[in-house]
Amino acid sequence: MRDVTIGQYYPSDSIVHRADPRFKIVILILYLVTVFFCESFLSFGFMTFFAVLTVILSRVPINKVLKSLKFILIILAFTTFLMMIFYKDPGNKPLAEWGIFHIYLNGIYASVKLGWRLLLFVIMPTVLTLTSTPTELCDALESLLKPLKLLHIPVHELALIMSIALRLIPTLIEETDKIINAQKARGAAFESKNPFRKIKAMIPVLIPLFVSSFRRADDLADAMDSRCYRGAKGRTRMKKLHFHVGDVIALLFWCAVTVCVLFLKYNWLGWGFISAWSL
Amino acid sequence: MIKVDRLSYVYSPKTPFTKQALFDIDLKIDTGDFFGIIGNTGAGKSTLVSHFNALTRVQKNSGTVLVDDMDLSAKKIDLKKLRAKVGMVFQYPEHQLFDDTVFKDVMFGPKNLGLPQDEQKERARQAIRLVGLDFDAIAERSPFELSGGQKRRVALAGVLAMRPEILVLDEPTAGLDPAGKRDIMQLILRAKETCPTVVMISHNMDEIAAYCNRIAVLDRGRVAGVFSPRELFGSEKLLAECGVELPLVTEMAAGLNDAGIDIDRSIISEDELVSAILKAGGYA
Repeated sequence: MRDVTIGQYYPSDSIVHRADPRFKIVILILYLVTVFFCESFLSFGFMTFFAVLTVILSRVPINKVLKSLKFILIILAFTTFLMMIFYKDPGNKPLAEWGIFHIYLNGIYASVKLGWRLLLFVIMPTVLTLTSTPTELCDALESLLKPLKLLHIPVHELALIMSIALRLIPTLIEETDKIINAQKARGAAFESKNPFRKIKAMIPVLIPLFVSSFRRADDLADAMDSRCYRGAKGRTRMKKLHFHVGDVIALLFWCAVTVCVLFLKYNWLGWGFISAWSL
Repeated sequence: MIKVDRLSYVYSPKTPFTKQALFDIDLKIDTGDFFGIIGNTGAGKSTLVSHFNALTRVQKNSGTVLVDDMDLSAKKIDLKKLRAKVGMVFQYPEHQLFDDTVFKDVMFGPKNLGLPQDEQKERARQAIRLVGLDFDAIAERSPFELSGGQKRRVALAGVLAMRPEILVLDEPTAGLDPAGKRDIMQLILRAKETCPTVVMISHNMDEIAAYCNRIAVLDRGRVAGVFSPRELFGSEKLLAECGVELPLVTEMAAGLNDAGIDIDRSIISEDELVSAILKAGGYA
């Protein structure tokens, strides 16, 4: 159970770790939009270069990154494969065919691009969660969503709910571990292959878990009450987010990357090398 | 009999969170022992005892744990047999109650052992009586509507119903009032009549001194020593070395001794203290 990583933070002291989480989120959104505009292999290579550079700068061991991508990679390989065998290109002769399956040259290109795009899509959010603690992300979201307060959306309360939920995930995992152990000690078998039995075997874990969650929620509410918590009004924070010159530079840098990718796609100035590499 | 030989354990090996919890532990717990394990928070007590019924598996090349003739460092263990043999009661065991009646909850263990239904019921009935609860009044009630002390008894019954030969208890009296603590300890003594070996982790030195015949002191993942209560609590040098607090009665005896009254400093039970005071006062 301990391997469950939702907050999969990897502690280290790199410039990516130290960056302001708000800027990280904005850059991530910018990056994801940019990936949408990538069309040629040249622009994919371009984005990959910067994505890999970020991974290297984050000083997270590469096998750790790959491990958190493991599940996605399986789905990715599957989709890419399906795309390849079902791609239809009526204008050209297929390279190979078996019954309803055809492989075209353009199909190979399209499926490789699809896989590549998906990979680019998942790698940066992974880097974000590896280099920022859940609390940082929560604070950043609250700060970024502040304008919604004008629409009377309770941003602070939503952020609080989220941070309490995140805060309690490790506690609940620990609790689950304990209860599973206690029931195992009473001879409960969780290793059954029969899925129906498996679900039934979870009942002795889930009920105590619910009971303790409610108890915890009650205690927490009491503790907040006794400290006069009354929502966002007049509340200051202990850890204020500060951004530095480096954060602004990083954002500007990524804006430049976006502009480059747009250039590669639309070729506004009609440069020859871009059309030569337009594959 | 439990024999631990050069046991080490590392949490989350090969990650930035890696932490060695046990270092080369050697320990032998004989049949019939009431074995106490003490040590500060984080000394590795819980990690050590969770090896005894293979909830924590012995890591590769990290020593061996033997329970009677079962080698727990082997790849395949008969878990069912082991868990029937070693009963484990965790801290706050009442948090593991789940079923809609006390009777069914206590039957959970025997049921998992695959016993015939009559036997399951019989064992549950006996266990509920053994922990001092009124079977007829309580069996069909929900465990969630009982008092704290009653819940803990039900949880204990749930383990005792499996009829273990070795009972491992992790702070069985934590969070109870003095009367509740005494009740639980009495109940454990009663259980020890049928379950010969008891291993108990505790921070309460009074309980350790009063009930255990041997005590292992753990210090930051190592065994600082295994002593009899009199050896440990009678030697101020040992106590200081191991960073162990005195039981209340021993502290009182030492205080009286300091005040110039002729009382042995190594007293470890209330009865002893009472008779020593009577004797010093010339009443006995």
